[in-house]
Amino acid sequence: MKLTLPPRISPQQFDAALSAFAGAVGKDWVMSSDADRDAYADIYNPGPTEQWPASAAVAPASVEEIQAVVRLANEHKTPLWPVSRGKNLGYGANAPRMPGSVVLDLGRMNKVLELDPELAYCVVEPGVSFFDLYDHIQREKAPLWMSVPGNGWGSVLGNALDHGMGYTPYGQHAQNLCGMEVVLPSGELVRTGMGAMDGAHAFHLFPLSYGPDWTKMFTQSNFGVVSKAGLWLQPAPETSMVLTWDIPNEEDIGWVIDTVTPLKLKGVIDQNVFIPSWLGKIVLMGQRKDFWDKPSAIPEWRVQELLKEHKLGFWQVQVRLYGDEAMNKARAEVIKAAFKQHLDAAPREEWWREGEPLNMMDPTMGVPSAVALQMGDWVGGRSGHMGFSPVVPATGKHVLDQLKRSRKIIADHDVDFYASFTISGRFATNINMLMFDRDKPDELANMRKLFTTLVDATAKAGYGEYRAHLGWMDEVNDTYGYNNSAQRRLNEAVKDAIDPNGIIAPGKQGVWPLAYREERGKKGEVA
Amino acid sequence: MNRKILIAAAVPVALLSLAGCKRVDSPDEQKVATAGPEGGPPPPPPYTIRDEAPRGDRHAAGRDGAALFSNHCGYCHLPGGMGTNLVTVQQVKAGNSPEMGLLTNREDLTAEYVKAVVRNGKVAMPPQTRVDITDAELDAVAAYLGKGK
Repeated sequence: MKLTLPPRISPQQFDAALSAFAGAVGKDWVMSSDADRDAYADIYNPGPTEQWPASAAVAPASVEEIQAVVRLANEHKTPLWPVSRGKNLGYGANAPRMPGSVVLDLGRMNKVLELDPELAYCVVEPGVSFFDLYDHIQREKAPLWMSVPGNGWGSVLGNALDHGMGYTPYGQHAQNLCGMEVVLPSGELVRTGMGAMDGAHAFHLFPLSYGPDWTKMFTQSNFGVVSKAGLWLQPAPETSMVLTWDIPNEEDIGWVIDTVTPLKLKGVIDQNVFIPSWLGKIVLMGQRKDFWDKPSAIPEWRVQELLKEHKLGFWQVQVRLYGDEAMNKARAEVIKAAFKQHLDAAPREEWWREGEPLNMMDPTMGVPSAVALQMGDWVGGRSGHMGFSPVVPATGKHVLDQLKRSRKIIADHDVDFYASFTISGRFATNINMLMFDRDKPDELANMRKLFTTLVDATAKAGYGEYRAHLGWMDEVNDTYGYNNSAQRRLNEAVKDAIDPNGIIAPGKQGVWPLAYREERGKKGEVA
Repeated sequence: MNRKILIAAAVPVALLSLAGCKRVDSPDEQKVATAGPEGGPPPPPPYTIRDEAPRGDRHAAGRDGAALFSNHCGYCHLPGGMGTNLVTVQQVKAGNSPEMGLLTNREDLTAEYVKAVVRNGKVAMPPQTRVDITDAELDAVAAYLGKGK
C-alpha cells in the first residue's frame, strides 16, 4: 500500500519521526514498507482495503518503550493508533480510524505477569492472546477458567478494553478488568484503582479506588495506552452441565427472553446466555452456494426447508451451569420447569466432570478457538463480516421490537438474516452478523447502506450500539446525542486537556482531539 | 508433531461422507469420542497446548521452526483449528486425504509458498504482520513446512 502521511506532516518530518521511534524500539521494530502497510489494513473492510491506511507501525517491548514512543509522537506531532494484537476483526482489525496514523502495535508485550489461583485473577500485558493465557493456565495447572470471545486469536486485554463478550459467568469482559497501568498521552504512567497507592496489595482485587476511579475511562477510549491490567478469572468448576433447546419459531424469542432473564437476575443462571438464530449453525456446515445458489437473500420457504433438513429450530438456546453437581442439578430442575411452561420438548442434557476433556469448540467452556472465523468460508472468496450490535433491555417486548425492525431492514436490503441475542442480565446484546464478498463492489455498497440505515432506525427507536466498525464510529457517536451531545463534548474536553497534540488514537469511537477535529465525519481515503 | 492425525470434527460432515472418507481413530480421539452425544457429529479433537515461543532475538536467523509453527500458527493450524478445518475441506475436494488438512502432514508445500501465504493472506487467513511473525521466524517456519521441491 502506498504511503499516506498523517495530516500536516511532510515526508521529511515523517522520516524524522520514524527515525526517532527506531531510536526507542530498534529499527527492526519500526515497519513502514508497502507490504507492512498492507498487513496493517482492515482486511474485512466493507470497501477497499486501502480505505483506512496506516503510514507505519511501531512495536515497543516494554512500558518504558511505550512511554518513549508516546513522548516522541508528541514531539513529532505524529498520531498513534494503539492496538493490543490488532485482531479486532469486523470492527477494523489493526487499521487506524484516521488515515496516516502510525499503528502502535503492542503484540510484543505478551507476558502473563501474574496468575493467582487463590483469588482467581491474572495480570497480563496487551499482547497476551486468549490462547497464550489458556496455555499458561494449563502449564501452571491452575484451577482457573477463562471467558473467551468468538475469536481467541485476539488479545485478552484488547477485547476487554473494546467491551468484548464471552459466554461464561465472566462473559462481560470489561467488568473483569481490575486495576490498570496506563501510559497517558503525555508519556506519564498512571495506575488506576488501588494501584494508585505505592505497593498496594489489592491493586487487582478492589474494583474502585479512593476518590473517583478512572479504570473505565480507558476502555473504548483514546485517553491513554493500557500497558498492563488485572483481569478476574473464574474458579474452575467441579462439574458443568448444559441444557439445549431448539426453539421452533422466530417469535418464540419473546418468551425465551422472559424466561431466561428472571432466572439470570435471581442467580439461578450465571452465564451470559447466547441465543443464535439458525444461520449461526449452518454457516459452519459449508458454503452458502451449497444451501442457496442465488445472490438474493435466502427466502423464507428455503429457510423452513433447511430447518427441517438439519433438524434445527429458528433459535437455539443453551444454558450452561457451572460448579457443584448437586447445585447444578437443582438449578437445572428450576430452569427446565420454567421452559416447560412454554415448550413440551425436553432439553438435551450433557454433563462434564472435572478431569474429562473439554469441548474446544464450545465457547461456554472457556477454551479459546478461532473456528468462528470459519464463517468467512460461507461467503467464499475474499470475505468479510461486520456486526451491527445494539443493546436492548432483556425483555421479550424490547427484544421482539428490535428483532422486527432490524429483520425488516435487513430483508429490505436483500441480505441474509443472522442474529443472536446474548442475555447478560438486565440487557441483551443483539449482534446482527453481516457477511459479504469483498470482491463484489455492489454488495459492499449495499452493506454500507444497510449498516447506516440500521444505525439510524435503531437509534430513533431508542437503542444504541455497544461497539462499531471504523466506518461508523462517528455516526454511532452521533446517536449518543443527549443534550447536544454532552457526553461527546465532555470526552473531547478531557481529550484536549490531557492530549493537547491529539496523538493517541484520534477519532476512536468518534472522539476527536482539537488537533484533528476537522477529520470528523470523513470516511478514510475513499468516499 | 509429524504424527498423522485425522481431523474430522467441524469439517462439513456431509462433505466428508460424500468423499467416502472414514475416520481413523487415534487413541486420543477414541477417548474423546466416548464423551460425544450418540448419533451426533464426531466430537472435536482435544485441545493442543501450543509450544512456547523460543526465547532470544526474534530477528536472529536459525530459529526453531517447529516451535515457532506451533506457537504462531497453532492458533488455527493445529488439530481442530480454523485453518486446519478449512484446508481439510479443500484437500478433500481436491481428492486428497483429510489428514492433509494439517500443514505438518503436507509434502507438497514449498518454503516460498508458505511465506507468500503468510504475508499476503489466503481466503479466511489474514496477512500476518512482522510483529505476528518476524522475517527470521517466518524463514524458520517456511523451512520447517516446506518439504516440497
